[in-house]
Amino acid sequence: MKKRALAITMSAVMAASMFASVGVSAEEGSEFDWKAYEGTTLNVMFNEHTYADAVIAKLPEFEELTGIKVEYSTTPEANYFDKLNTALSSRSGQPDIFMTGAYQTWEYAPAGYMEPLDAYIEDATKTSPDYNYDDFIPGIINALRWDLVPGHAVGEGELWALPMGWEINTLTYNKKIFEEKGITPPTTTQELYDAAVALKEFGGSGTYGLAVRGLRDWGTIHPAYMSLFATWGAKDFEVEDGKLVCKLDSPEAIEMTDYWVKLIKDGGAPQWSTYGWELCGADLGAGKAAMMWDADRGGYTQNVEGASAEAGNLAFAGIPLPEGKTEQLSNLWTWAMGMNADSKNKDAAWYFLQYFTSPDFMLYSGTEGACTDTPRTSVMESEEYKAIVGQAEGYLESFETVSANASIFFTPQPYFFECTTMWAETLQDLVISDTYESTEEAMQTLAANLTELVSDLEVE
Amino acid sequence: MAKKNATDKVSCNMNALPLKTRMRPYLIVAPALIITIGIMIPFAMAIYFSLTNYSFRMPTYKFVWFENWIKILKSEDFWRALWVTLRYAFWSTLVEMVLGMGVAMLLNKLNNAFSKILRVVLIFPLMIAPITATIVWQLMLNSSVGIVEKFLNVFGVYNFPWAASPDTAMLTVVMIDVWVNTAFVMLLVLAGLQSLPKSPFESAKIDGGSAWFNFKNLTLPMLKPSLYIALLFRLMAALQEYAIIFGLTKGGPGDTLMNLSLTAHLTGFKFQKFGYALPYILVLWVIVNITAKQIVKRQRAAQKQASGLES
Amino acid sequence: MKTGKKRVLSILQNGLLAIYAIFALFPLVWMLILSFKSDTEMFTTTFVFHPTLSNYTEVLMNSDYFRYMLDSLIVSGGAVLISVLAGVPAAYALARYDFKKKEDIAFQILSFKFAPEILVVLPLFMIYQKLGLYDTYFGLIWVYQLISMPLLIWVVRGYFEDISVEIEHAAQVDGYSWYQIFFKMLLPLIKPGLVSAALLAFIFAWNSFTFPLMLGGINVQPITVAVTKYLGTDTAHYGQLAVAATVSALPAIIFALCIQKHLVRGLSFGAVKG
Repeated sequence: MKKRALAITMSAVMAASMFASVGVSAEEGSEFDWKAYEGTTLNVMFNEHTYADAVIAKLPEFEELTGIKVEYSTTPEANYFDKLNTALSSRSGQPDIFMTGAYQTWEYAPAGYMEPLDAYIEDATKTSPDYNYDDFIPGIINALRWDLVPGHAVGEGELWALPMGWEINTLTYNKKIFEEKGITPPTTTQELYDAAVALKEFGGSGTYGLAVRGLRDWGTIHPAYMSLFATWGAKDFEVEDGKLVCKLDSPEAIEMTDYWVKLIKDGGAPQWSTYGWELCGADLGAGKAAMMWDADRGGYTQNVEGASAEAGNLAFAGIPLPEGKTEQLSNLWTWAMGMNADSKNKDAAWYFLQYFTSPDFMLYSGTEGACTDTPRTSVMESEEYKAIVGQAEGYLESFETVSANASIFFTPQPYFFECTTMWAETLQDLVISDTYESTEEAMQTLAANLTELVSDLEVE
Repeated sequence: MAKKNATDKVSCNMNALPLKTRMRPYLIVAPALIITIGIMIPFAMAIYFSLTNYSFRMPTYKFVWFENWIKILKSEDFWRALWVTLRYAFWSTLVEMVLGMGVAMLLNKLNNAFSKILRVVLIFPLMIAPITATIVWQLMLNSSVGIVEKFLNVFGVYNFPWAASPDTAMLTVVMIDVWVNTAFVMLLVLAGLQSLPKSPFESAKIDGGSAWFNFKNLTLPMLKPSLYIALLFRLMAALQEYAIIFGLTKGGPGDTLMNLSLTAHLTGFKFQKFGYALPYILVLWVIVNITAKQIVKRQRAAQKQASGLES
Repeated sequence: MKTGKKRVLSILQNGLLAIYAIFALFPLVWMLILSFKSDTEMFTTTFVFHPTLSNYTEVLMNSDYFRYMLDSLIVSGGAVLISVLAGVPAAYALARYDFKKKEDIAFQILSFKFAPEILVVLPLFMIYQKLGLYDTYFGLIWVYQLISMPLLIWVVRGYFEDISVEIEHAAQVDGYSWYQIFFKMLLPLIKPGLVSAALLAFIFAWNSFTFPLMLGGINVQPITVAVTKYLGTDTAHYGQLAVAATVSALPAIIFALCIQKHLVRGLSFGAVKG
């Protein structure tokens, strides 16, 4: 389970180009004392993910280098945060380290569960000279910074976690189906709509144009929908008179949502409202969906030989642009690791964090470890990385175009999950029921509800 | 032939017995009670926290008295969740009871090789954890890659929406619940049928009663205790169902399937408002307890009646 | 004439059973089929495909699968064992003796089963951490009593009540001690009920999800929590999930087969009482 077909393919490609060892070598930072916390035991909570697998694979080397013992648990994503919330709220100091996303830090950091990391990075006695913080891609590392003021964008304030990998959201399409039907990859939203409609039942009942998520949770909002929402020029919240005000009823937001609803109704999956990333990927891989707009990783992994029926037929396009827009803005997601503010072994925990986000480890995880979206520039520019990732048609190109402007386009505030769940519920109502007369009415109701929900937040 | 109060016979003069003997039943029950009693503490804590604004998100909390309760009882969401809870519980329990009993009686009556195999294999769905069963069903019902769609296509039905439409979502989750849990009812009824005494049926045979008469006056009353137990456990679980609904649609589409459990779970764990989530779940607990008490009362009466019938 | 009617009836009855059996068993068969499919053929084939064991080797050989299974076995088995040891005597007492607050105590035990899990789990998490029961076998076996004990007591109690007191009295007159009566006479009589209840208790404990998720983790991780791991995070490996689910059902299936003679015993052998 741990490495899967993807990793096997990669190791084969890499065998020629790789050096003898990809692990972190202790000798390089010889002045730095890795053994300072020998004998400590750390407790780590992972979400079940390829990123975690890469870390787990290298745990023995870390334990040998530092003499720190690591105990860990991995929990499937559907329940991971329930478990983490419970553990953090008990304030027992366990786990010392945990995996988190950027959105979660908006809850955890104000609650005082997260240890700010800048002081550790700047302390030369605590951080190895090889660490090279500036090597992190600014857009990604900044997504994990926040000054704890609701309404203030990410990028300012303390650093709350260090990235393991990240995802941008772009269009993946099946070039075989596109050729058969004589359709070219869409570059505008109008073309996307036309293509999705033209591809409705392209291969009989159950086949359709575009796969996107539709479940009643935040996962529906943050990938494709939020990327287009931002590209369209819409905003979720703005600060007015010291209060957060929801802007989902702005003309851009309504126009964009109206387009999205029509797109799904006319060219989306028949059972869209039950779709998470698994079913989106399954339909794309099985050749039932001609396009998917989701995390780039999702399309990438379906394209690896042996991973799906359509492997090898998938190609990548960027984000289709609405009329009058020129900038492709992808909302980004990052898996990161943070430190429990109640940890009783903070310095040892910092050793863990810096080891597993170091350039050497990231090179391993970005190539052999199958975490294709590396947060470090040095890895992205390495030949090993390009050799592997460059095989997928258009992947590197769209990755480079889109990643230049990728950021988190949500307004940071601790009610993020409640807001996006209500948002997804409204989308579902618009697509499959007649609860609302118009998109405008729906978005106005939603905006009013969300403004009310966040009204107790102090924006100072 | 009926001797009433078969159960009370030992007890006629308990008070005249020495203390040691009188204490014996308490001593015997004690281990079971102690093992489960530790769980009382969480209840007390839950009631307390429901009067606070306790949240995982905040380092401290304060007492807000009945603010959470008032807000929830006034909200539309609560009443909708209650209605969803009751509908789900009603339909899934009803279908499971009728189906489970029917299947058990057929199995018992036929008593051929086919039915003997089925008695064992029909329990298998119970052994798949509901969360896994839901994923498997979701795949089967999918309109693009699912097997059920292919089957329905043969009959000219295309793109049946199942969980994706507000009109059929309830039907779909109830169907999965029925698939998982009918065997529970079946097993209890079957065990009940198998321990039915022979003699009343033999005398009934001599009297020449019709099959329906026998069923109504002998089988059903003697099965009733088992049926009530099955009803009790199924209904209580259905009122609190979480895994199947969450696994299939997370409460959607819209809020079609948001029952009390799901709402409480979402509010408490995902939205981090634990104090505010507790009233939902405490209301559920009250409903569950009242219902359980009523069923238990009837179960006890039926048990007494059945014991009387046998002797 | 009459036999013809009977025959039609019998065909009808067998037919109805068959229809239900298809509904109940097809998803299992389909899951089994998935477990032999490779990712490439997962959705493009139905019944004709190239079977592969790769899902099995991946799940059973390259992961901690058996560790999770063992944890499940220890926790569920331990829970049922304790429930039987403490529950059967309790069921007997609740059936046979008449004492103050009897019905209240019986209901109290039962009502634990109906405590909403998410209500119990958070306070319990805090208490467990204080007592050092968090993430231990003992802690989980204890909390599983909420699942297995009430069911066992209530089913078995009914069976005790069905047994006529005269049998016991007669045996006492014959000079048998209470223990002899209990083990040699009463236990065999309640066996069908006890084994079905124990089986159900085992299944419910085995399938329990919220408790092990919240109260276990590193040292103890039962299979229900682990099973969705096999769905994967890069692409969805439904084949591996199917393997994990299929194999995780085996202990309960074996349990059921072991006690099948109690399950399949016909009416003719059933008349043990009265």
